[in-house]
Amino acid sequence: MTHRQVFGQVFTVESAIAGAVFVAVLGLLLYSVVRRRAAAGATPSQRAELPGPEKFYVGVLIAVAAFLVAWTAWQNHRETHEHAAGAPVVVDVTAYQWCWAFTYPGDGGGSPSAPPPTTPPTAPQSPCLAGHYPTLVVPTGRTVRVRITSADVIHSLWVPELRYKMDAFPHHVNTFTLTVDRQGRWIGRCAEFCGERHYAMHFWFKAVSPRQYAAWAHSHSGTGQAGASA
Amino acid sequence: MTSVASPEPAAGRREVRPGGWLAWLGATDHKRIGLLTLGTSLVLLFLMGVLALLMRSQLAQPDEHVFDPHTYNQLFTIHGSGMIYLVLTPFAIGLGVYLVPLQIGAPAIALPRTTLLAYWLYAVGAVVMLSGFATTGGAHASGWFSYPPLADSEYEPGAGSDLWIAGVVMSAVGMILMGWAVLWTALRKRPDGMTMLRMPVFTWSMVATCLMVVGAFPSLLAAMALLAVGRGDPSVFASNVWNIGYQHLFWFYGHPVVYVMFFPYLGAVSEVLAVFSGRRFFGYKGTVLSLLAFAGLSMSVWGHHMFTTGQAADDYYSLMSIVLLIPAGVEYFGMLGTILSGRLRLRTPMLFALAFIPQFLIGGLTGIMVGTPVVDYHVTDSYFVVAHLHYVLFAGSAFGLFAAVYFWFPKATGMMLDERLGKLHFWLAVAGANLTFLPMFGLGYLGMPRRVSTYSPFDGFGRLNLLASIGAGILALSMAVFAVNIIGTLNRRALHGSEHQAPDDPWEGHTLEWATSSPPPSLNFTPEHPLPPIGSFAPLLDLREQAGPAVPGQAEGPA
Repeated sequence: MTHRQVFGQVFTVESAIAGAVFVAVLGLLLYSVVRRRAAAGATPSQRAELPGPEKFYVGVLIAVAAFLVAWTAWQNHRETHEHAAGAPVVVDVTAYQWCWAFTYPGDGGGSPSAPPPTTPPTAPQSPCLAGHYPTLVVPTGRTVRVRITSADVIHSLWVPELRYKMDAFPHHVNTFTLTVDRQGRWIGRCAEFCGERHYAMHFWFKAVSPRQYAAWAHSHSGTGQAGASA
Repeated sequence: MTSVASPEPAAGRREVRPGGWLAWLGATDHKRIGLLTLGTSLVLLFLMGVLALLMRSQLAQPDEHVFDPHTYNQLFTIHGSGMIYLVLTPFAIGLGVYLVPLQIGAPAIALPRTTLLAYWLYAVGAVVMLSGFATTGGAHASGWFSYPPLADSEYEPGAGSDLWIAGVVMSAVGMILMGWAVLWTALRKRPDGMTMLRMPVFTWSMVATCLMVVGAFPSLLAAMALLAVGRGDPSVFASNVWNIGYQHLFWFYGHPVVYVMFFPYLGAVSEVLAVFSGRRFFGYKGTVLSLLAFAGLSMSVWGHHMFTTGQAADDYYSLMSIVLLIPAGVEYFGMLGTILSGRLRLRTPMLFALAFIPQFLIGGLTGIMVGTPVVDYHVTDSYFVVAHLHYVLFAGSAFGLFAAVYFWFPKATGMMLDERLGKLHFWLAVAGANLTFLPMFGLGYLGMPRRVSTYSPFDGFGRLNLLASIGAGILALSMAVFAVNIIGTLNRRALHGSEHQAPDDPWEGHTLEWATSSPPPSLNFTPEHPLPPIGSFAPLLDLREQAGPAVPGQAEGPA
């Protein structure tokens, strides 16, 4: 399952539960306002509590909480990459004020020989400008391992279409794995506030077929380019 | 009043006139310090609302440049910092300073001079933070949680940031001191008969709140100290441990503070619901227990703000966060049980309290969603979170705040607020709040990050943003009605004196503050207004029940 699919299921189930709870509470509220109004001739009960129903209700709450705890704990680890073929593609991402640099340490092909970057490449490069956003190219159907760091402040790489983001910290490398199951080109954004041009720190995320990817990697081999136009 | 601290002015000292400004500024009467705190935070509420309006004017349409990005960043930073550090927290604790001694039947607050110092720390802190706008670099612009290294002196060199740290520290120290005073009052200043389980729900909510204040706020001071060191020497933040360490310190404060900005309003709403339902609050013990459990759990969930850092334990923090739904559910049981078996009078405080129930619920339910890592990885740092936190803090807590103002205004001033203006305020606020914040869930889901100063026409965010901005305009209108109501009523008092005097107990209240005069005398209870016998958490209701079978609320007639 890709992260997007897991997100879709969890979001749907939680929205349904939340919606049901909301409708129930709103219903009780409206019932009270209509039927228990002074104008409707209601008389107040002075019963201080209903220990029986309350205990039952707490039991229900505990059951719901236990279900959600168990279920989300399961969902947290449900993202798998079993359908991915071949060695993982490694991409190194360096965020900086205010753009992104993408490098492919294995020459875009296979697993990297070099360890993850501990010192970020020297910034600054030019800021992301409309029409010149850098592109992160990945093949579909293969595991992509992203190693992300920052050259200055904290940023966050977010591709809304993938329903996923991960922070880029300076002096620290975060690694995450993803698989993309269809081709397309989607906008990526910086989600962590990072200063003046935070609002414009965009990039393109492009998923292509493994064949196109091999051709692209070949044509870019050796350059390992940031902001490769694709 | 100063007479609490020194009953007889020493020879040679100038006597302070009780009604004069000096008597107010140096007051040790908890009611005066409480009103100073509440008044200051209400003024700041309007100011922070203006900053929000400026932001919404910029975001109403794509590619708008009413403000440059640097100015916009100052606006959202001071709006968020101001609302949290200077409005909702101080108002919550100020409400406790005013009400807790009255509700438990004490003549004064514990530590009155400390409480006064706390007010001044808060007030001066607010001025210091806002004075950043007058510096050449402008006010602080790194957001209310100001992560380093962005907030260090390398990336944010202006004096505005130093002023911001100073302001946050001063107001936080003020809140810690006030929290101790309120906590100590509730624990140690209760008269005979007022056992802990006879304290009103609001007082209990303040006990839980102050426990979180004294337990969690020092962590904010530690975070600010770290940031201050980093502004002296930015190389501190060349080590990841201090960057992520700051986030841990900050959120150890930052999550409990959400409940500090929620419990007192929940307590106020519970009192209002009970009084206007004509019955004692339903499920008292369960609610008290759940408040304490909630406060305890609140200290163990901070990492759910940090899932996407890749450096927090997803499972632990998400599971602890989900467990919070149990105490929250128990509190809803109490509120719903009260109105389901009551006789509802729909006066203005009650309307705000009723709207609190479903609106806060939206914030709470979406809170469980953002506490689930799988969902959080998409929606965190987006407008979804902006919508969530505004449902909690505005559609929830601020509605509790309005309910509290309408409910206790007659007690504090001796004047009733205008009911028609109050209802107008209410309906505009409901329409405005939901129109502003509901579209933001959609914006976040579609991919709009928070804290962007503008967006492009191709993003497809235009229509929902326009709706939100129209909602903000309606909210502004509702706040204007609120201001007119308060100022007009206070003016009427100045013009006509006691002509419009509110009765001591205009709403048929349940708790001890309604047994004394409006406004209460300096030592709260006098021989003319003695402390009634205390046999439960609703002693005035007990008296009415003993007096006769009359149905509460009937004297006043249907609303």
